[in-house]
Amino acid sequence: MNDSSRLIKTANLLLDISSLLMVSGANTNRANLSIDRFASVLNCKAYSLISHKTIIMTLTDEETDQSCTRVQNIPPYIINFSVISAVSKASWNAISENWTLEQIEAEIERIKSISRYSQLLVLFAVSLAGAGFCNIFNGDYLNMMVAFTSTFMGLFIFQQTHKLKYNLYIRLFLGSFIASVTALVGIYFNIGANPQTALATSILFLVPGVALINSFTDLLDNNILNGMVRFTTGLMTVLAMAIGLFVAMYLFQLN
Amino acid sequence: MLEIILKLLEVSFWSGIAAVGFGILFNVPKSAIMTIFALGFGAGFIKFLLIHLNIHVVLGSFLAAFFVGVISLPMAHKIHQPPVVFSIPPVIPMIPGYFAYETILSIMNFIFTEGEVNTRISLIDAIFTNGFTMFFILISLTVGVSLPMLLLKKNTVKKLDS
Repeated sequence: MNDSSRLIKTANLLLDISSLLMVSGANTNRANLSIDRFASVLNCKAYSLISHKTIIMTLTDEETDQSCTRVQNIPPYIINFSVISAVSKASWNAISENWTLEQIEAEIERIKSISRYSQLLVLFAVSLAGAGFCNIFNGDYLNMMVAFTSTFMGLFIFQQTHKLKYNLYIRLFLGSFIASVTALVGIYFNIGANPQTALATSILFLVPGVALINSFTDLLDNNILNGMVRFTTGLMTVLAMAIGLFVAMYLFQLN
Repeated sequence: MLEIILKLLEVSFWSGIAAVGFGILFNVPKSAIMTIFALGFGAGFIKFLLIHLNIHVVLGSFLAAFFVGVISLPMAHKIHQPPVVFSIPPVIPMIPGYFAYETILSIMNFIFTEGEVNTRISLIDAIFTNGFTMFFILISLTVGVSLPMLLLKKNTVKKLDS
């Protein structure tokens, strides 16, 4: 393999890694750090512009001084902390064991195939989390049942519409609408001591926690543009949730 | 006294469960789940203890999130995971959902209540109180959890330079 095709291959690999990290919910600083670590193993220097949808990277070979520039689009974001953890481990191993390009490629392919938790397990875990929220905000165990059911219904709709490839904000609206309608049925029949808390906590599973926290860490790292983009995404998410809740409450005339 | 402690432990337990639920939604590695539960439990305990001691919810949330951020750093080295993996899920249960709900409810009532000036004024009060509490809790959570990470990362970079 000649030098330039190897350099292009390296650039594509590094772009793959950084877009994988961004999609999985890492902040911009972490994506940059990982690129630098892998590039130093491969005797290269990487300069990159990471935005929310695209990564532009110029890679310079430190021995031959050749360089190449590549651009890659980032696919839709799906948070996956296992990937972040695995890439981080791989980067440390690559430095300490001085991995070759092929080794890193094989490891990244393996990381891409890491399985997620099954849909049913996620549904139950998040619904339990919803019930937990309800307890935190002074709900009794009957309220927690309502919160569990409504989170379950809302998240189920959210997941099914994902399979049908709906727009994210439509999905958020539908998820929060279905969850709050289910919780409003609980209010209608006056289930438990504090039915209002079940409604307030039923939509919390949609809260854009990762987007908001990453937005602030990006802002603190001086990645102002990415921070603002993430904050806006979080704001849009909250807006979609609020509209779902609003419409449901208006239908039930809860004032 | 015992009753209060039991209630505190119950709420902290459910905070831990909520943290684990979100961890599974974010697909964390299996080895991190116990750590996430422990951090969620600790954060919930600190927050509700502080609220019980009449400390404002914003400051309580900040200290609880700061606790998560500080503890997640040595834990990251111990079980070989990057700190984000278990510093974000325990913070999610502290997201001010109830204040957000109250804000939306007050806005709705404000839109649909016409005429009565006094009710509208009290609704404006509710919108601002709940809305700003929500906003400041959000800021204190994000800053609290990311501050230790940022501070310590700066330190290690300095060590590398010298």
